[in-house]
Amino acid sequence: MAMMSETSEGPDGPAPDGGITARAVSRSFGAVHAVEHMDFHAPAGKVTALIGPNGAGKTTLLLMLASLLAPDEGSISVGGLDPSRNRAEVRSRLGWMPDTLGVWESLTAREILTQMARFYRLPAAGIGQRVAEMLQRVRLADLADQPARVLSRGQQQRLSLARALIHDPSVLLLDEPASGLDPGSRVELRIMLRQLAAEGKAVVVSSHVLSELDEIADGAVFVNKGRTVRQQTTEEAAAGGRRYAITASDTSALAATLTELGLVFRAEDGRRPGVSLTLASEGDAERLLRDLVLAGVGITSFAPAAGALEETYMNLEGERQ
Amino acid sequence: MSQLTGNREDTSRSGVAAAYLAGIGHVVALELKQRLRSRGWYIMLAIWFLLTGLVTWLTWASWNASQAAQRAFGMPPESSGPGSMIFEVVLAFVLLFALLVAPALSANAVNGDRAGGTLAILQVTLLEPGQILWGKFFAAWLAALGFLVASTPFLVIGVALGGLTPGHVLVSLLMLAVEVGVVCALGVGISALAGRPLFSIVVTYLAVAGLVFGTLISFGLGTGLTQGTVMANNAQYREYAPLQSGPFEPTYTCSGPLREQPALHTERVAWTLGMNPFVVVADAIPYRDRTNQQGFPSVGAIEGISQAGLACPPDACPPPCPGYPHRLSIQALDRPAAWDHDGT
Repeated sequence: MAMMSETSEGPDGPAPDGGITARAVSRSFGAVHAVEHMDFHAPAGKVTALIGPNGAGKTTLLLMLASLLAPDEGSISVGGLDPSRNRAEVRSRLGWMPDTLGVWESLTAREILTQMARFYRLPAAGIGQRVAEMLQRVRLADLADQPARVLSRGQQQRLSLARALIHDPSVLLLDEPASGLDPGSRVELRIMLRQLAAEGKAVVVSSHVLSELDEIADGAVFVNKGRTVRQQTTEEAAAGGRRYAITASDTSALAATLTELGLVFRAEDGRRPGVSLTLASEGDAERLLRDLVLAGVGITSFAPAAGALEETYMNLEGERQ
Repeated sequence: MSQLTGNREDTSRSGVAAAYLAGIGHVVALELKQRLRSRGWYIMLAIWFLLTGLVTWLTWASWNASQAAQRAFGMPPESSGPGSMIFEVVLAFVLLFALLVAPALSANAVNGDRAGGTLAILQVTLLEPGQILWGKFFAAWLAALGFLVASTPFLVIGVALGGLTPGHVLVSLLMLAVEVGVVCALGVGISALAGRPLFSIVVTYLAVAGLVFGTLISFGLGTGLTQGTVMANNAQYREYAPLQSGPFEPTYTCSGPLREQPALHTERVAWTLGMNPFVVVADAIPYRDRTNQQGFPSVGAIEGISQAGLACPPDACPPPCPGYPHRLSIQALDRPAAWDHDGT
């Protein structure tokens, strides 16, 4: 798939860091301030998660990034270009997958992709091959000539992704791409997004399924109430300390050993009795596990209680209240 | 893929207008594929064909029956044949139904797509808002023209049965197409402005009702406001023909001094009729000059509509009838200026 990344390196390609940046953008709908002075940056070659509760302004921000909505204030730059001035240029570099499926039901998957290729003014000669390639990539080649209405939700979702990728954009904006997908398709999506990032694209994923994003995101931008509340990489999130959940065959022995080690812990009354405690780093976790095993405690599970992003998200929720 | 990118740049440079038109063409292709593959459209077309056929047959049958009845009472049968009447009834019927169908085909073009989430997909591509709007308009128009094509055989029957020339069919089909286009433009424009499909469809139907009935009502009510006088002398009719030989011949002579006489200046409100689709179609059809014919000519319904707006003071000598401005242009002014809508 080396060919996929060439757009960003062409003579007319975007600046070396082809990512997408929003600076202090605001947008209001009547009296509702959907987005207020939001900052956002997604570098090329990375997957950036856009995280926030419902109504935080994620979709509005994505619409502005996709050049579908003009910001009232602030500026957006796609590979160094301003969408309001170089609309066609910017749009040929942007791929957008909306949160609604929006499928032309009477058309076949092949026809939909062909039409999209025409709308992006791809040269007519290469369209057939390009469409076949994309169908192969999202595993819809077998269903290519079925009307889109017979496709399952997951298949339509994949078609939607292929539609966003048809013109080989350097920036990919995905609004809730995993919603409604079964676990298998989620894993598949994850692999695909990692691949796209590896090809040098800036991938932006908005979601509130945080466990998903933990696996794929290199960085995250947290938004709430129309503002950017935190921007961090996944490493930074992990560095902030995480809560680990430990269960043992003998919980009282575990508790005794932890007390002996001088650690503060909390007994959890979950489905299986256990304890949880906050550890500053992965090194700490490693040492604690070794100590516990050496002390002869029968550990049955030892894992982060929540994903790194979820941890940050919940902390932010806490700060808010 | 680098080749792909390079060609893309070339395309955008060479022939901006051609690229613009090609974009419209692609939108039309997409829309038509979407529309023509629904079975409902074909069922509607079949029903339309049968209905138009039924109306044609009924008109022909009723004309035959009336001829038979006239013969039974010993009256001479009409010489002009049923052609003109069948043609006019079918034409009026097709226009009526076209006016009913066109809003349904056009008035959810933009906001229906917005509701379905497919509008933004188009907007995010290199298509410009104007291309999307024109594409949707042409697609709606072409779909509506399908109905006109289905009714063409019956208009041809009207001609075949006598009295009219192929030119009549051609002109009337052309005018029907234009009228349907006007309504489709109205519908697409309103659907771009209104948020919800149901609302825009209702508004478009109301707009069509306004054009068809509103213009008649405003003409009727407006006539009362046109009281005035004209300078005229007295008309004296040569003779009153007996009633049994049909309507009297309107030949009269003018004599006496010119005096101010009360009259309704309907020409001041006749422009409202210029927005009426039926009047527009009727006006465009080239009827033969029948003033030299013997006796009162059998003026058809459409022809009658065409002349209704030309009402003159009844006894004015000479009749001060104005010529007619281009009615279609008046109607065109009625369209909302929705073409610059950017759809965001």
